[in-house]
Amino acid sequence: MNDQKIRKYFLLVLGVVWFSGVSAQRDTVTLGYGGLPVNMTVSSSTPPGNPQNTMNQNGFLPNKNAASRFLQHASLGHNLTEIDQVTQMGYESWVDSQFVVPKSFSILQKIRDYHKIIKDSTANPAATVGSRPWRYAWWQYFMSSPDLLRQRVALALSEICVISENSAFGGNAYAMGPYYDILLDHAFGNYKDLLRDITYNPAMSVYLTHLNNPKSNPATNTYPDENYAREIMQLFTLGTVLLNNDGTEILDNEGRPIDAYDNDDILEFSKIFTGLTWADRTQFGRGALNDTSYIPDLVMWNSFHEPGVKNLLNGFQVPNRVPVDGVADINDALQNLFDHPNTPPFVCKRLIQRMVTSNPSPAYVNDVANVFINNGSGIRGDMKAVIKAILLHQEAKGCENCDVPVYGMLREPMVRYFQIHKAFNAFSTSGNYRNDLSNLVVLTGQRPLASPSVFNFFQSDFQPIGPIADADLFGPEFQITNAQTIQGFVNGLYRWLFDGDISDEFGLYTGEPSANYSNQIANLDLSMEVSLTNNDQLHILLDRLNLILANGSLSEATLLTIKTVLEQFPNVSTTEKRQKVTLAIYLVMTSPDYQIKR
Amino acid sequence: MGKKHISRRQFLQDGGCAALGSLTFLSSVLNLGAIATAAARPHIISTPGDYKAMVCILLSGGWDSHNILVPTDTENYNHYAASRGGLALLKNATPAQLLDLDYDDNGKTYGVHAAMPQVRNMFDNEHLSFLANIGTLIEPIANVTEYNAGIKKLPLGLYSHSDQIMHWQTSVPQSRSAVGVAGRIADLLNDMNTIPEVSFNISLSGKNRFQAGNETTEFSLSRSTTAANIGFTPFPSFWSDQGYKTSIRNQAIGSMMEQEYSNIFQQTLGNLGKNSIDSIEKFRVAMANVTPLTTPFSTSGLSQDLLKIAELISVRSFLGTSRQVFFVNYGGWDHHDNLLGNMNTMLPVVSAALNEFNNALTELGVHNNVVTFTISDFARTLTSNGNGTDHAWGSNQMIMGGPIQGKQVFGEYPSLALTNNPLNVSNRGRMIPTTSVDEMFAELALWFGVSPNDLSYVLPNICNFYSTSCPADPPTGYMPIGMFN
Repeated sequence: MNDQKIRKYFLLVLGVVWFSGVSAQRDTVTLGYGGLPVNMTVSSSTPPGNPQNTMNQNGFLPNKNAASRFLQHASLGHNLTEIDQVTQMGYESWVDSQFVVPKSFSILQKIRDYHKIIKDSTANPAATVGSRPWRYAWWQYFMSSPDLLRQRVALALSEICVISENSAFGGNAYAMGPYYDILLDHAFGNYKDLLRDITYNPAMSVYLTHLNNPKSNPATNTYPDENYAREIMQLFTLGTVLLNNDGTEILDNEGRPIDAYDNDDILEFSKIFTGLTWADRTQFGRGALNDTSYIPDLVMWNSFHEPGVKNLLNGFQVPNRVPVDGVADINDALQNLFDHPNTPPFVCKRLIQRMVTSNPSPAYVNDVANVFINNGSGIRGDMKAVIKAILLHQEAKGCENCDVPVYGMLREPMVRYFQIHKAFNAFSTSGNYRNDLSNLVVLTGQRPLASPSVFNFFQSDFQPIGPIADADLFGPEFQITNAQTIQGFVNGLYRWLFDGDISDEFGLYTGEPSANYSNQIANLDLSMEVSLTNNDQLHILLDRLNLILANGSLSEATLLTIKTVLEQFPNVSTTEKRQKVTLAIYLVMTSPDYQIKR
Repeated sequence: MGKKHISRRQFLQDGGCAALGSLTFLSSVLNLGAIATAAARPHIISTPGDYKAMVCILLSGGWDSHNILVPTDTENYNHYAASRGGLALLKNATPAQLLDLDYDDNGKTYGVHAAMPQVRNMFDNEHLSFLANIGTLIEPIANVTEYNAGIKKLPLGLYSHSDQIMHWQTSVPQSRSAVGVAGRIADLLNDMNTIPEVSFNISLSGKNRFQAGNETTEFSLSRSTTAANIGFTPFPSFWSDQGYKTSIRNQAIGSMMEQEYSNIFQQTLGNLGKNSIDSIEKFRVAMANVTPLTTPFSTSGLSQDLLKIAELISVRSFLGTSRQVFFVNYGGWDHHDNLLGNMNTMLPVVSAALNEFNNALTELGVHNNVVTFTISDFARTLTSNGNGTDHAWGSNQMIMGGPIQGKQVFGEYPSLALTNNPLNVSNRGRMIPTTSVDEMFAELALWFGVSPNDLSYVLPNICNFYSTSCPADPPTGYMPIGMFN
């Protein structure tokens, strides 16, 4: 929908509201659909509930609030145009259309490009790449790429299969970038391939220390490192306890959960992940040769791989391979984990928690896990099928739960920040974008691949005290929500919106002229909003923000509170109008109605 | 461990560890009972000077504490050296790898890692003590036979970071949903503080399990928080009506937080927001009264965190608090790799920060009112994985402050032999704890003013570690670790 059309809708809305004579509706009308309740969502498999739905070959099409809500599951931010696309295409067609959008570019290649600029500009062929090109490459990808769904899934994966800049390699873009490429590449691939690639990824091997991990030497009391063996099970595949296919815990006859593995199992798996080292080294056990050592997959040195039988889970035995074949051992072990009945519900529940909601019903997890087990063509771990199952499940696309008191999730701070850019069509004149995200991490504790540990920024089973814990439910994002970060995010909004300091851009190298990148800073396009700041149009402005940012879930009370404040702000100069819009966004994004995605 | 392993309960009754000080302890329990009774009355205004604070330093990741406190007598050192192989710190090396402690328990002697000279000095000067082989337990486990027999309940997720770090903070290792020890203490003693908006629990490291209670939550701030920057950024001073505009904006935020929400996620966020806003105003006032300390602090994050804690202690009267628990995390101890190098880098940070904080407490005149202690996920395997170590169990921790009997190794430091060792449950070298987390926290809680009758609310498993009636009156067979003077 172009701006001209939107304006027409606004006039229509205005008319409906005025003629309806119901003042309570004024703040809560839904763009283009004057009479609908705020949270009404109609989806393709919902029986026709109102006359606004039209049919096409996909069935009933979503209304705009429903489309916005769907896009908040499926992207890191969206604008009105994309909302309109979803209302026209329907959910499934949109998902299918996203599956065929190719990856825009290789993060690694972008980092190489930046590195070349650094080397050329400083006339120093030995200049190291540093860390900033990684974040600039990530930001360029986010700002310029149309593969919204791939990016959403990749970020979700980055919070399940975690590496972090808070590590030995955090200062090296060549460590971070290739890892994120794996996540982007396999977002629409197969989970087994993802497991394989992260296992052989140098950054992961440094992070979870299976790099240069030699076989046992009982004479010196030296045994294989258990770190990766433990965490690949606990965090990337199985979790700690046995699960039913619906994600609930299997209990023993005394009602207790059952460990999915014990320390003996970890000892066996630790033998598997031995013998790997840098591809560019001619000896085992050496440090990285240089910053590019992190680019190629690790290689197996069979002479350092633990020989013999390994007894893995569910009776699976890796044979005593002669000669030793570490790659085959690893493949067997990854298959053992991939085939474990825990893996589908464990991985699917985490993906749902990252993308849709904090407490999916067992039926929802079960349905998605079944698709993980078999995509319909006998293939296990097909990410496209899993993503589709997650997004198109009635519990995601329908709004039956929207007003259920125990339903929802806290939006994580970095995704709120990303959303601002998409919602308000952030642009630069050059089409290039730099952002180090350094203030984001200070204010909220988050930026991609920056968690404090392999347990992510927050744990999926975190229970904040109060009604969520009382209901024995989870609210993972509340683990990073405290007095400090609440202020941090609100003051971030101030900085980004009022100060106009929305990006952190620096030279790629010491002394780079700012003229080189002053046209690589994102600006929000608030032109449409600025035309809606007169008091008699504020409800339209708020409807617009409600739709784009909060899929229509702002309550009347919240809208009235915000409107009352806005009415007291001057509205004469262009600057004042823009400040008023800015204040509206600031207050909307501070409200619990917005921050809780329902 | 060099001697016949007696049962846990027998051990408690016999008081087989050094420095029991039980008489002192029991008399202090009686005194504390009076405070606890007072605490039961809501909003009692404590007598001036009745101030106690705990500072919990989480060393997340599982610090390799067998290289922090190292046995140096010949028999025990030889076991240590054999088990640790290439990771063993050497005696009599140049430069020194171990600093001898002025301590001899019937021939058992110890050294601390040479990167911690201030810790050695504080130990020798009776400001600091160690707790040996302490860890998460549901009930005592005497030896590897009991461990293997499956007749004793084991902590959930033994050797897993997320579980053990949680169990250390909740001391309810049979559960993954318990609240924290300091949170439960706050539930009981919150009324000792006079300003309801000011949390009993203050964190420099955000949300944490230790300070989550059933009724109370922590207040988080950062080492860079000051009176000038706390709260929501005001509109710029050059705006007309800047104060009014900021005020109505902030009122709108407050109003949105205070709305009646039916959704529990919104309720939770609204409550957090409201409590934060209320607290911020109190802290803004208090922090404006901070007078810079003369004690120098290093620039490390941990030192700066402890400096911020010292500053908050200095303005406690403005916060209306007579009891405070502070929490700070200094993480990065999961040294599966480059153990020796990483510890050489990180231990000086801990050692300097503790010493600076100890000095600052003296400067503030509260040295006898504050107890600082370390916790960590677990110890690490005695054996090497090449150049690092993996996850284990019973560990060594530090406790510091005027109320603490200094220059002690509390509990029982086990033999570190891999074989013929009843406490070792793995060929990698993993020790069954001989002192439970419960026992340490029980003494801290009683010192803090928790009534003995309420101890099982704070520590639901505590009765498993007592020999007699529980939770009624201080049990006659009760033999504490004896940490307090």
